[in-house]
Amino acid sequence: MSREVVTSGKQIGEDQVGLGIIAAMAALALAAVLARKQKYRRLAQSSGTVTAARRLNRAAGTLAFSVLFDSAIEHYRGSFHNKAMYTPLVVSSLALAVSAHGVNDERSEMHRLRDAIYVAAAVIGAIGTGFHIYNVAKGPGGINWQSVFYGAPLGAPAAIALSGLLGAAAERIRDSDPHRPRVFGLPAGRLAAAIASLGLLGTTGEASLLHFRGAFHNPFMFLPVTLPPVSAALLAETALGKQHRSRWFTRWWLRLTTAMGFVGVCFHAYGVHRNMGGWRNWRQNVLNGPPLPAPPSFAGLALAGLAALTLVEDRPDA
Amino acid sequence: MRDLYPGYDVLAKRHTPSWNEQTREVIDRRLTIARSDHRFFTEEEWATLCAICERIVPQRAEKQGFVPVAALVDNKLHTDDREGYRDAHLPKMQEAWRRGIAALNDEAQARCGAPFHELAGAEQDELLSAAACGELKCAGWKGMPSDAFFHRRVLSDVVSAYYSHPTAWNEIGWGGPASPRGYVRMDFNRRDAWEAAEAYPGHEEQARQENLRAGR
Amino acid sequence: MRDGEARENRRPSDDPMRRPRAIHGRAPDVFRLGAWVPMRQFGEDEEVDFAIVGTGAGGGTLACKLAEAGFSVVAFDAGPYWRPLEDFASDETAQSKLYWTDERIVDGENPLQLGSNNSGKSVGGSTVHFAMVSLRFRPEWFKSRTLLGYGADWPLDWREMWTYYEEVEQALKIAGPITYPWGPKRPRYPYRAHELNAAAKVLARGAEALGISWTETPLATISAPRGASPPCVYRGFCTLGCSTNAKQSVLITWLPRALHAGAEIRDLAMVGQIETNGADRVTGVHYHRDCEWHFQRAKNVVVAGYAIETPRLLLMSATSRFPDGLANSSGLVGKNLMVQGNQAVWGIMDDEIRSYKGPPSLAITEHWNYEDKGKDFHGGYAYMSQGPLPVLWARTLAGSRGLWGEALLNEMQRYNHSVGLKVVSEYMPQERNRVTLTDEKDQYGLPIPRVTYSWCDNDKRMNRHALAFMRRALEAAGAREIWDQEDDTCHLNGTARMGFDPRTSVVDGDCRSWDIPNLWICDGSVFPTVGGVNPSLTIQAIACRTADRIKALAARGDLEVRSKDRQLV
Ligand SMILES: Cc1cc2nc3c(=O)[nH]c(=O)nc-3n(C[C@H](O)[C@H](O)[C@H](O)COP(=O)(O)OP(=O)(O)OC[C@H]3O[C@@H](n4cnc5c(N)ncnc54)[C@H](O)[C@@H]3O)c2cc1C
Ligand code: SF4
Repeated sequence: MSREVVTSGKQIGEDQVGLGIIAAMAALALAAVLARKQKYRRLAQSSGTVTAARRLNRAAGTLAFSVLFDSAIEHYRGSFHNKAMYTPLVVSSLALAVSAHGVNDERSEMHRLRDAIYVAAAVIGAIGTGFHIYNVAKGPGGINWQSVFYGAPLGAPAAIALSGLLGAAAERIRDSDPHRPRVFGLPAGRLAAAIASLGLLGTTGEASLLHFRGAFHNPFMFLPVTLPPVSAALLAETALGKQHRSRWFTRWWLRLTTAMGFVGVCFHAYGVHRNMGGWRNWRQNVLNGPPLPAPPSFAGLALAGLAALTLVEDRPDA
Repeated sequence: MRDLYPGYDVLAKRHTPSWNEQTREVIDRRLTIARSDHRFFTEEEWATLCAICERIVPQRAEKQGFVPVAALVDNKLHTDDREGYRDAHLPKMQEAWRRGIAALNDEAQARCGAPFHELAGAEQDELLSAAACGELKCAGWKGMPSDAFFHRRVLSDVVSAYYSHPTAWNEIGWGGPASPRGYVRMDFNRRDAWEAAEAYPGHEEQARQENLRAGR
Repeated sequence: MRDGEARENRRPSDDPMRRPRAIHGRAPDVFRLGAWVPMRQFGEDEEVDFAIVGTGAGGGTLACKLAEAGFSVVAFDAGPYWRPLEDFASDETAQSKLYWTDERIVDGENPLQLGSNNSGKSVGGSTVHFAMVSLRFRPEWFKSRTLLGYGADWPLDWREMWTYYEEVEQALKIAGPITYPWGPKRPRYPYRAHELNAAAKVLARGAEALGISWTETPLATISAPRGASPPCVYRGFCTLGCSTNAKQSVLITWLPRALHAGAEIRDLAMVGQIETNGADRVTGVHYHRDCEWHFQRAKNVVVAGYAIETPRLLLMSATSRFPDGLANSSGLVGKNLMVQGNQAVWGIMDDEIRSYKGPPSLAITEHWNYEDKGKDFHGGYAYMSQGPLPVLWARTLAGSRGLWGEALLNEMQRYNHSVGLKVVSEYMPQERNRVTLTDEKDQYGLPIPRVTYSWCDNDKRMNRHALAFMRRALEAAGAREIWDQEDDTCHLNGTARMGFDPRTSVVDGDCRSWDIPNLWICDGSVFPTVGGVNPSLTIQAIACRTADRIKALAARGDLEVRSKDRQLV
């Protein structure tokens, strides 16, 4: 039997965790600096499609942010025993950086590098999902509750793919006819709504699984399995339904879902504190407690939904 | 015995979340017991006990740290810290030890003409093996079966004393005390940064570096 | 800040092993540092409804349920009232303070190892240091004589027990698998199963290779927060007391409820004798606390001291009217002691296992409890993954494998690569396996018990089967250098069996003694057979049922006398 000298070999220490955090912060800062160079204007002032594209960039960035920290924590837990485990960190950092760049870019044309990174993120996310499925299935007894509870999460790589997909859509929207935005030959608004809707459903699936694992011990744990499916349904209606001038209910519901995504981090921080040793024992509890960066992926997708709404409401044909 | 976990020291974790106050207290108390402390055994018995311990859990001079096994056993007897059951063939713990040690010395005198602790290691082992098989039956045993004494008292008490000591934990790469912080990585070949890293051939230095970080 | 507080390091200023804590109208709050909860107290002259001896799986559960039903209850325990967060060190040696270490003599062909291995002396009983494995009986075992042809039938119906099992599983928030592979359908466990450690995955691999089912062990330690209990941190010290409070022991589940409902708990109170009157009724208990003997009057006495102390107390309470001890007209008090087989196979893996992490038995197979074909013995067994800590492991290597000297030290260095499977098997009831009194006296001046044990041929055949099968499983999982640990046993049951007939049992299905209507026995002693699973869930289920039966009997006015006796009067 071949033995990987993992456990007794390299182990990521606290200092390296610190380095990782600093690197991530640097990625954020770089993005900000890049963005500064562009002239800053309020989103609403730019043309409709560009606004929508920038909103999609923002959504893609939020998702990438969530994935960056989530995969950092999860793969730190997995001691980066496989070199490929660094991939999501690199990819999501890049996606985060280009998203920040995109949010501040008002030009109505595709940015080649941004687009390339988004497309790469989409592809790598899809491959990562495959890896994770393989990992879950190879445990004793194959795919069972134990392996889906404690094996590699499917949602994380899928979220990278979604981030890439939304970003790629954003770039294409910039390029397309402002009166009739099309992405991959489909109406851009409806397509974005559909992606966000499916993404929300998937993320709800993952939250349900993990909150079920936590036996829904706190009633607030029902929120992320009830609000987002409604968002998903509303967005599905946006994608497929008749044309309306205004979908105020959908808009508010998506805003609520966005807020939930960010407030979720606080709930999870409280959850970490409730574990033995609380935050003082962070090296255990950040890993074994509720995942801090997970909830913002709801926010990312709800933001994508809001961007889609902008497109659909402004342009009947989008 | 190899230095399998080079540089690993459970005590380095003393101030990490792996230890709580009550654990520090009991371990500190254990660590104050010095190699030559004895209150229960007489000098003569003590010499025999030390010799027995050296055979049951031999400690080479060059090894890192020393476990004061005999003193720990003496402490257990002094405090009469019993385990709650007694083989019907054995007298109470304290009496069993006194009688057993005296009997072993008698056997040593009879066989080799010297007290147990003066015998060569091989001769001591031979006597202990004979005790383990219940073959020793001189009058000094006063009816106590030597095998019951060897298994239920000698092995059990000496071995428990040895592995109650942090130095012994270092040798086997055990994580040691763990509260409030427990463990995260439980799969095959995974360890937390606060666990001991095993030195695989060719990776000794790497393991040492990892182990020096266990207490951080 | 209920839970936040509970994490600071703090040492209590009192010594719970010397001075009782549950006094002055308050008892320790087991969840908060240095805090107290109010406790109702009863005078010794006050005739309480129930005096319960022992606060473990049987006594503690019953105290809670009876107090909640409105009865006045005083529960005695010889052990201390621990504050797990403050009193429990992460240390094998120091934590032996949880065990019943008063002297007991063991003999027979296969003398038992007691102490750490068997019983606790703490408020909360042995559940303070038990391994949390929480299994239901196979339904047929309640009628093993009729349906399976061995042992004795229980005066209980499995369907009724199924509802009480559910009550206990809910009360302890058992963390278990979504679907249980064996037996009739059971409701979903309240909490999800824990993550498997490597040792548990070895069991799973072996079972997969041999084509039998396995599952995550249902455990009484939580996998998500519950009230003031944080989830398990996988520190692996479970059998030495859980300083996390993740373990759902009697101490932190039933007893806080009991106190809340108005029960009184007397810690460091050793009951030495049950008093009887001329009308053959019990009138109260004599107990030793704070260096003196006291007497508590009671309308009913429940003995729940576990299978050695329960018969011991009944035998010690002999009077001229009951010369052979109380409740002993059948002559069966102390007899039919049943331990369970706890043999193991151990081996070495190339992989690092580090089985010290996590609760010791995270995976289990009950295959041979439910499969009757291919057995040359009666009864069944389950086996589980294991996680011995260093002192226990060294004692196992020395005691069961005979290693010492350099050989022992070298083998100990393979600790992190060692892995094993351990059985819990069903031994047969035999009258020769029994608890009796000796002439030797303990620190209270009470006669110490003698525990006699010998395996019968069926037990030996089962041992062989289990060892051979586990060896195949461990081999199939990739372990090498496999060896058998043949001598270990665990758990204590029997010695005051329940039954249908006063001539062949000590108590009836309601745990009420046949001889004395206001004397009850409610602990592991009442088992007529043991089954191949760990006993505490069943003990707690029986206690819940007994409480319901007592409520029903009281409502009918049948508590003072048996209805059939009343008809005679
Ligand atoms: C190491 C270990 C691991 C175990 N693991 C498991 C497991 O995983 N699953 C499982 O189901 N079971 C397990 N058990 C067994 C389980 O703990 C017991 O079966 C169960 O607790 C017995 O319940 P009881 O009420 O009969 O007795 P106990 O829980 O032992 O309670 C008896 C109490 O009575 C007190 N007492 C006795 N006599 C007197 C007296 N005269 N006066 C005052 N007080 C008295 C004692 O101090 C004690 O506290 C384990 C046991 C041990 C030792
Ligand atoms: S492993 Fe879990 S249940 Fe066991 S002692 Fe640790 S926290 Fe408690």
